[in-house]
Amino acid sequence: MAQTTLSFGASIRGPLHLQQGITNQDAWLRAEGSFGSLIVVCDGLGSRPDALLGSRSACLAVREACVRWTRVTGAPVYYLVHLIEVLWRLRIYPCAPPDAATTCLLALALPTGEMVVGGIGDGLVAIRTGDLPVSTIIGDRADSFSNETCALGVSPGMKAWHLTKLPFSHQQRLAVLASDGVADDLNPEKLDDFCDWLIFSFEELHPVQRWHRLVAELRAWPTPRHLDDKTIAVLKVNAEVAGRKR
Amino acid sequence: MSKLSDFTVSSPRPLPVILLADVSGSMAENGKIDTLNAAVSEMIATFVEEEATRAEIQVAIITFGGSAARVHTPLKPASEVKWENMAASGRTPMGSAFTTVQQIIEDRQLIPGRAYRPTIVLISDGIPTDDWKTPLELLLGSERASKAMRFAMGIGEEADLVTLKTFLADPASKVFHAHEAREIKKFFRWLSMSVTSRSRSANPNNAVVVEPTDLDDFDF
Repeated sequence: MAQTTLSFGASIRGPLHLQQGITNQDAWLRAEGSFGSLIVVCDGLGSRPDALLGSRSACLAVREACVRWTRVTGAPVYYLVHLIEVLWRLRIYPCAPPDAATTCLLALALPTGEMVVGGIGDGLVAIRTGDLPVSTIIGDRADSFSNETCALGVSPGMKAWHLTKLPFSHQQRLAVLASDGVADDLNPEKLDDFCDWLIFSFEELHPVQRWHRLVAELRAWPTPRHLDDKTIAVLKVNAEVAGRKR
Repeated sequence: MSKLSDFTVSSPRPLPVILLADVSGSMAENGKIDTLNAAVSEMIATFVEEEATRAEIQVAIITFGGSAARVHTPLKPASEVKWENMAASGRTPMGSAFTTVQQIIEDRQLIPGRAYRPTIVLISDGIPTDDWKTPLELLLGSERASKAMRFAMGIGEEADLVTLKTFLADPASKVFHAHEAREIKKFFRWLSMSVTSRSRSANPNNAVVVEPTDLDDFDF
């Protein structure tokens, strides 16, 4: 069994940080290797002094954790969480974790055809397998309100994490990650259409053109009085059997 | 227009403000209800005029008088509120108002997760005449409603400040005590400033404290 993957994403500074002259506090990463294909989206909590350090470090910590974790076949998913937590703290040290608090969302397509997906904090983690409707692993605020979130650095322990391993599938699988600047303004009833749009509009573009187009779309965000930094990352996986895409 | 508009909501993030207004018979005395009507109307007008907001201020008014609370003004953007004066009569079913506001806050169609933390303002000049303790316990124990910012104003010497303080459920919070009807307007000036300050702030979930000394001889 082999698989082909496509990953892309973009991040822009929101109107509030533009107005304040503050750097984009979101960070995202895509990576491929023997560990599989990975996308990460992190949103440094805006009220924290080292939010940018926190979000960028979290992206790198996730990549490092995935490399190490996948070297041990069958290692439980919670080991990956522990690795991310520790590696993130090492990367931000001596900064105090609450000062660099950040959300952390990831999707890792394993070479086995499985996918590890989820994270800590608000935003969107959406999955679609084959023709099934999109399901959200993170995206429902439940009983909380805007800007209330768990995060690395302020929410210790496994309870704050929602990370799951999806079994092998012969069908195409799509993972979409987004920071809350995107997720909170999405119409939940249009999530399938949103995922379709991301694939159909961007899949065939040249990577550079794709990035420019996605940045332009994020900069033209249509919701009135939107404020936040905005980040989207997409990972599409096609399982191939006997050379045929399924 | 970006195709994204097909998948996104077209309204700003809501910032709900819910008033629980005592309209029992005693509010008809000494011009209290007239002053309250004028103050609430002025507050709504202030919200409508506020242009530099990062959120859409929404208003709901629950009145409690007679036998049960009722929704006088359903939750909607301040700009869409057609103000109608409240009339005072009957008893003080404050517990019923607590139940009604809890239902509103727990309705995620009405107040979605993208909304900023709601503000609940309790205004009363008397002692509750129904069972208020159980509904208040449920309100304060509710995962969503307990996150709301709460303010309270007692009007006149008969106001049950202990009950109002229990509603705040925070030792550091103070009940605003309006000894005279004219002080009702000052409270609403303060409230208007607090809400509009929140709506302009980087994170409207952080309460912006407007110093009471900014208002002429404001007293609480």
